[in-house]
Amino acid sequence: MKENPNIDELLNSFIDGELSQRQFTEVQRLITHDEQIAQRLRELQKCKILVSSLPGVEAPAWLADEIKTTLERRTLLEPPKRHYEEIQGARHLLIRKVLSAAAMIGLITVLAAVIYTILAPEGVEDKPFAVENLERPRREIGAAEPEVSVVKDIEIERPQPSMAAVVETKDSENVAPVAAVEKSVRFNMRLELESGGLPAVRAFISKAIGDNGLLEREAYLYQMDEGRYAFSCSREVMGLLLDDLENVWDRFDSARLFVETGQEGNEVLIDGVTAEQIGEIINKESFAKRMEVARDIAVLNNMHKLLPGKEIFASIEADKSDLLSIPKPVKPVLTSGNGAIQRAREEIDDSQKVHLTILIIDR
Amino acid sequence: MTETANINIDDTTLVEQCRQGDSEATERLIVKYQNRIYNVILKICANADDAAELSQETFVKVIENIDKFEGRSSFYTWLFRIAVNLTLSYCKRSVKLGLKSLDSEADEHGRQGRRTLKEFLSDDSSSDPAAIATNKELCELIKKALMKLDDKQRAVIVLRDIEGMDYAQIARVLDIELGTVKSRLNRGRSNLREIMEAISQ
Repeated sequence: MKENPNIDELLNSFIDGELSQRQFTEVQRLITHDEQIAQRLRELQKCKILVSSLPGVEAPAWLADEIKTTLERRTLLEPPKRHYEEIQGARHLLIRKVLSAAAMIGLITVLAAVIYTILAPEGVEDKPFAVENLERPRREIGAAEPEVSVVKDIEIERPQPSMAAVVETKDSENVAPVAAVEKSVRFNMRLELESGGLPAVRAFISKAIGDNGLLEREAYLYQMDEGRYAFSCSREVMGLLLDDLENVWDRFDSARLFVETGQEGNEVLIDGVTAEQIGEIINKESFAKRMEVARDIAVLNNMHKLLPGKEIFASIEADKSDLLSIPKPVKPVLTSGNGAIQRAREEIDDSQKVHLTILIIDR
Repeated sequence: MTETANINIDDTTLVEQCRQGDSEATERLIVKYQNRIYNVILKICANADDAAELSQETFVKVIENIDKFEGRSSFYTWLFRIAVNLTLSYCKRSVKLGLKSLDSEADEHGRQGRRTLKEFLSDDSSSDPAAIATNKELCELIKKALMKLDDKQRAVIVLRDIEGMDYAQIARVLDIELGTVKSRLNRGRSNLREIMEAISQ
């Protein structure tokens, strides 16, 4: 009979008893009515019988023993399996080692920081330190020292003066060091004086300006409006002017000094400033020193305002410490205004020039 | 060993005991299946020594990996899957299989065997399995004919006609579709018939 794969598959399933009842009946009908299909069925059946008639062979007697021996041999050769407890113990030990190493590294880092703080070159010490709000906790020894101090959130035109100098430390990456900008930045100050007797104060200041020869040179007084005076002069000339102003300082209801830090928009505010304190600031040789003194004074004045009884300020003042013992600039004996100007002009150089703007505010 | 094999314990219990390191359970599993495994492997690879070695390798692999047996299929299916896969891999590697010509094989087994086979294959002959099994020459011719089949077709025929698995079990052991089992079995039997007719001439 010619092979028909579909019929053969059906017949093989018939032989193997893998047909459903319906298929089985259908194949039986085919076999009955088609001799060729019946003959093919017999051929396939004989094929199956031949294979299935092959006698079964028993496994060699030694097979089971050989399997056991092989298993035992492999078990002996295998490294012993680690128990769960051993694995956990090893893990715990590893964690302890890692933590110990981390603790050692941390300790070494702290020690290195302490040693560096002790042995650091003086130049590092001279960096302006951070003056923070008084409520801020002090830094621990060995903690990283901020690179720069800047003043934040001081509104120049704020009507009511704040007693606290709001000074905040920022991260170093956003702020250039003061020392780096020292040479390129002028030392600018703005003095805001509030007074009830405005005409008298203005008249006195105008007179002081005139007496010290500032009116005669545009280089010194470059702006004089109603209640606004802007100076750019030497420390000595500025000292003379402040010396005169000190005489009428009591007539000011408030005196606030804004010192530009070199960072745009940032200033140090010294509330309740005195002429002596301004003189102390401008007497310092470098920009950094002036800024340092300005910050110190800002803090001290702030403490003076905040502490009840003002005992600390009084005691400091009584001690005549360096900070508050402000050397008065020696006022030269003037034979004429021209002579004073000439002497002052000879001594002026850019690094020691002081820029001061005085604002007289009517209360 | 024979005594322990006679104790009727189901596979699941034996496997669980074997996992717990019970050597007696391991021995029982081996004894229970060693003849069937050996027989199937021998019919596929046609070499007694290789069949013994493959059987041993099968049981060692099964026992060593019994912890990985997840029970998704029966232990019987898992065991035969490992055995057949090992044997088919061996057949691929072996250069000893399928190299002899039918003519030389026919010459080896003499005219008596060929005549018996020819009579059996003729349409009007009787098909007494007992008579076939006792005819050593005929059995050798059948084995040789089986060896001329494709390995995959031979495996399906052996699992069906010697081990007596149904189609679904064969599909699970060989990890193939049921339709593939049917088609391989169909082609295998047709080819086997032709090979035996050729041998009997």
